[in-house]
Amino acid sequence: MSNDGVVNQKRRRFLTGMTCAVGAVGVGGAAIPFVGSWFPSARAKTAGAPVKIDIGKIEPGAMMIEEWRGQPVYIVRRPAQALESLENLRDTVKDPESEDSDQPEYVDPVTRAIKAEFLIMLGLCTHLGCAPKYRPEVGAADLGGEAWLGGFFCPCHGSKFDLAGRVYKDVPAPTNLKIPPHNYESDTVVVIGIDPEATS
Amino acid sequence: MKLIVAWLGALWGWIDARLPVQRAWDTHMAKYYAPKNFNFWYFFGVLSLLVLVNQFVTGIWLTMNYEPSAERAFASVEYIMRDVDFGWILRYMHSTGASAFFLVVYLHMFRGLLYGSYKAPRELVWLFGMAIFLALMAEGFFGYVLPWGQMSYWGAQVIISLFGAIPVIGEGIVEWVRGDYLISGITLNRFFALHVVAVPIVLLGLVVLHLLALHEVGSNNPDGVEIKKDKDENGIPLDGIPFHPYYTVHDLVPVAVFLFVFCFIIFFMPEMGGYFIEYANFEEANRLKTPEHIAPVWYFTPFYSMLRAVTFEIGPLTAKFMGFLAMAAAIAILFVLPWLDKSKEKSFRYKGRITGIMLLLFAASFVILGVLGVKAPTDDRTLLAQITMVMYFAFFITMPVWSVKKGGVSILRYLLTGIFAIGFFGLGMPKEGVELSIVVRICSIVLGLFFLVLPWLVERNISKPEPDRITMDGGMGFWRSLSVLFIVLALIILPLKAAGSEANHDCGAISCDAFEADATDQESLQNGAKIFVNYCMGCHAAAYSRWERVADDLDIPHGMMMDNLVFSGQKIGGLMEISMSERSGKDWFGAPPPDLTLVTRARSGKWVYTYLRNFYADESRPIGVNNKVFKDVGMPHALLDLQGLPGCTDGPTLATNGGIKVDPLTSEPLNDDPCGNYELLTKGELSPVEYDEAVYDLVNFLSYLANPVVEESRQTGVYVLLFLAFLLIWVVLLNREYWKDIH
Ligand code: FES
Repeated sequence: MSNDGVVNQKRRRFLTGMTCAVGAVGVGGAAIPFVGSWFPSARAKTAGAPVKIDIGKIEPGAMMIEEWRGQPVYIVRRPAQALESLENLRDTVKDPESEDSDQPEYVDPVTRAIKAEFLIMLGLCTHLGCAPKYRPEVGAADLGGEAWLGGFFCPCHGSKFDLAGRVYKDVPAPTNLKIPPHNYESDTVVVIGIDPEATS
Repeated sequence: MKLIVAWLGALWGWIDARLPVQRAWDTHMAKYYAPKNFNFWYFFGVLSLLVLVNQFVTGIWLTMNYEPSAERAFASVEYIMRDVDFGWILRYMHSTGASAFFLVVYLHMFRGLLYGSYKAPRELVWLFGMAIFLALMAEGFFGYVLPWGQMSYWGAQVIISLFGAIPVIGEGIVEWVRGDYLISGITLNRFFALHVVAVPIVLLGLVVLHLLALHEVGSNNPDGVEIKKDKDENGIPLDGIPFHPYYTVHDLVPVAVFLFVFCFIIFFMPEMGGYFIEYANFEEANRLKTPEHIAPVWYFTPFYSMLRAVTFEIGPLTAKFMGFLAMAAAIAILFVLPWLDKSKEKSFRYKGRITGIMLLLFAASFVILGVLGVKAPTDDRTLLAQITMVMYFAFFITMPVWSVKKGGVSILRYLLTGIFAIGFFGLGMPKEGVELSIVVRICSIVLGLFFLVLPWLVERNISKPEPDRITMDGGMGFWRSLSVLFIVLALIILPLKAAGSEANHDCGAISCDAFEADATDQESLQNGAKIFVNYCMGCHAAAYSRWERVADDLDIPHGMMMDNLVFSGQKIGGLMEISMSERSGKDWFGAPPPDLTLVTRARSGKWVYTYLRNFYADESRPIGVNNKVFKDVGMPHALLDLQGLPGCTDGPTLATNGGIKVDPLTSEPLNDDPCGNYELLTKGELSPVEYDEAVYDLVNFLSYLANPVVEESRQTGVYVLLFLAFLLIWVVLLNREYWKDIH
């Protein structure tokens, strides 16, 4: 090389550092559209908008499945004896007071509902996301006979939940099934996806 | 701290012992010696690499939301542009990148031509480069089909039909390529696979080969001197300089400048006046309706021009087939370039005058062909295309003659150039029945004369001896470069002007009225939205847009939007659809009323504005009205209640040049057009002035609807450009610091 002058290392290092720093900011800025485009789009948001459901027509003991944000929402009309069974299972379930589980604070921790009669929860197993089956028949032989008081059974890895979506002990699922935010517009019309305060 | 450094050092050693990281770095960067005298022309290699990366990354991101089916392709592109956060930036980066890619690659190739970078020992570098060019053309073509707009569709239709020109097997090939009896979703699907998987892999492989071959033989330079001849005692070329850090630092300057221009286009003029994204492509592909004027994107137009320029037949060979051959040959001949150039010198700096003239003529011809390719053909333009096409081929085919003083049989030299001379003379001759531009014909005759005496001129050509070592100031200097640029421009513009003159009105039978959208005028936009919903959406949907977006952008509260504008049964987040089905629309109006989301982008704001102001009563039409901008349109005058019904009265006649015809004696306008003026037959709710304002608001709203990010884009663009200017300062300082002592 023919550069005979003395190289000013300090200045070189400073200029290199500055260029790299400004360049890094540029790369960060250029990343914004790439990262940003992964968030839910306007279409996804619309599809994920709150849904209004008329639950008046559900027979006692029956379950209805609705969709909210592409997730299945289970709505069960629980008869009185089903609600009684919840107390009896206190020692069988892992988190009876729903202390470690995901649910809005305005639902009762035991019945896990605003109105005890209607259980409204996400039909996604907290283990690895399968859809648990609704098994209301008391004493089902394949689910432990006498001890089974009705509830949900996940066929994937055998997790069991009671009629409030509370998970049994000694099964793979870690927590109770999730309760989505929801609000009663009238006695029989519920809106999934918004909290009660938000609408007042 | 010390421990970590030691540990990292050990890790590095462990890896380097198993993978040639250090060696690769040295071979290609730190100990790759490049000539010190690279100039402006040497920027385009690194820039094409930059664009390649851009295309890969943005392309991957686009596939995340694009749907390759005939039903969803067009809508999914609009979905990316509207509903995906920042999607419009990604899309424009990709579409602008495509054009930028060709721009830098063409300049990169021309650099090779100027300095003889294709000559031994760099033939393979050139060949790999040409293969890259070919793959790039395929990539560009497949990619242009994907948005599934009118130009995508009909461009593909035209190009694929080309293969039908091949005798016997042609039609079979066409069907095989399409996989259908017409371009369809099946074709789209395979092009998608080729565009996003197959061709990129090939491209990447070829780029690696191109670089490996280059680094094996070393870079050429503007003097065409091999720097490996003169080495110091350590075996380092005396005229070389390590690529890293010197050229890495050096290349950052053009990179920053390039990004500045690139971002300017993305944020301020993404369609680039219809050259980067053609306006007709904002209309969904329709296999029953060909656009008025089909032109490929600009980077294919030089070759497309040649295709059209061939109008003669030879025996059983049709003009269609010959055109196809010409186009193929124009690309194929580039591959043999290294063996056509017989000169001792590499760089045009030392090859003498003749080479300079030839390069000028070639460059001008190529650009002229490109410009002609985007225009509709006329007799003059076809002639000019023929002349420039012959020049394109003459440049290469007679190169063995003009690149070397003597050699071969003298008579053969005259014969070869003579053929082209005859060709030029033939093109310059007057033709029966057609009047052709005299300037264009003279150009042809002059070229003919030049080629007639070319071998004689070559013998008198004075080439300068190549220097032993490279020179740092051997170029043309600023003023000479400028004058050469001027000559090239003159060579391009003069013949084009002579073959120009296209007389028609941009709005049907009349000229467009002035219209300037104002995306910041909320009041106008809100009023426009109201008119659009009330008067247009009875028949037209705007189904790429969402109600909620319009409400938010126009500052309309959601509740008010729901109550007054959104149709019952629709959600605020939903698309702006209407209840009239396509079928009933077809029954009522003959054709389903088109979706209007993009109408001002496909047509233009002025067009729609003029159109809505030029309905008039016409008893001969089934719906009782006609339109001057869109003759015999099937649409009724939807704003009749507002405007009233205009009827025709006598008025001035429009001349084809845009003015009005006047009486040659008195210069008074000739009022002999029975529909030169309007008179209201029935009164509307609005006065004429109010009506114009209402139409303005409506079209202003439509312009917003067609491109809702216009304002956002401008604002973001300003910050991005400011940042890049700031970056440029540091890059320039850094470059100066490293290069100040290099002579
Ligand atoms: S997913 Fe339900 S038990 Fe595993």
